[in-house]
Amino acid sequence: MTMSVIMFWIFALMAVVGAGLVAFLPRLVNSAFALVLALIGVAGLYWTLGADFIGTTQILIYVGGVTVLLLYAVMLTPKESTRVPWIRFLPAGVLTAAIGYLLITAFNGVLLAFDTIRGVDLTAPVPTADQIGNAFLDKDAYLLPFELASVLLLIVVVGAVFIARRKREV
Amino acid sequence: MEWSFTPDSLSGYLIVSGILFLFGILTILTRRNAIYILLGVELILNAAGLNFVAFSRFGNLGVDGHIFAVFIIILAASEAAVALAIILQIFHSYGTIDLNETNLMKR
Repeated sequence: MTMSVIMFWIFALMAVVGAGLVAFLPRLVNSAFALVLALIGVAGLYWTLGADFIGTTQILIYVGGVTVLLLYAVMLTPKESTRVPWIRFLPAGVLTAAIGYLLITAFNGVLLAFDTIRGVDLTAPVPTADQIGNAFLDKDAYLLPFELASVLLLIVVVGAVFIARRKREV
Repeated sequence: MEWSFTPDSLSGYLIVSGILFLFGILTILTRRNAIYILLGVELILNAAGLNFVAFSRFGNLGVDGHIFAVFIIILAASEAAVALAIILQIFHSYGTIDLNETNLMKR
């Protein structure tokens, strides 16, 4: 059992356990912190995939930014426990199980198509930040989506401030 | 290719992302609180990003999947900011963010 297998297991367990706690914990604050656990697990899985830049971005933006926003919103909720009545899990569980069955079927087909893995080398990861930056600024690759994303972020900043401000004449 | 749960196979990552996706669906379906639904959506987006990077790795596709993961992170951050602003306004006008009670567009 090599180091990469151990790290994969640790991060996969973090992600799965965190996601499960998000779904089942009764109090919103605890679920928000469980989401942090799941997000750090996913960042670690990115690292085991050799995606160093994506993993770091995940930590910076999700764990550092989105979670702080969510915790700010948690302050809005009333203190009472939001325990889900178990009867509500029955239809939701049936629907989730059906979607899970479809997922397994789809993944089976995907794995049949991916029967040969080409050139995966887990021992010598290559830094990816320069490749990602070049792809973003190459007009034959992803320059237009990159610029559109920056416009989108501007719209989101202005729009969020506009929506969230307290209106006087309501 | 066989199903296995190791870092040098695609199926391990597919299993993890599938579980994340299903827990996100379960969160969205069972909760009535708007912020819980946001948490579920974040889980689903993470599952999608993990799939993108895993396919990019095991399909030997360079950094294309990484770039899609970056866009997913950007969109998730935008979505969280706008959704929380909307939730703030809902709370101001209704006094609650229970989605069963917020059934009017305007009052």
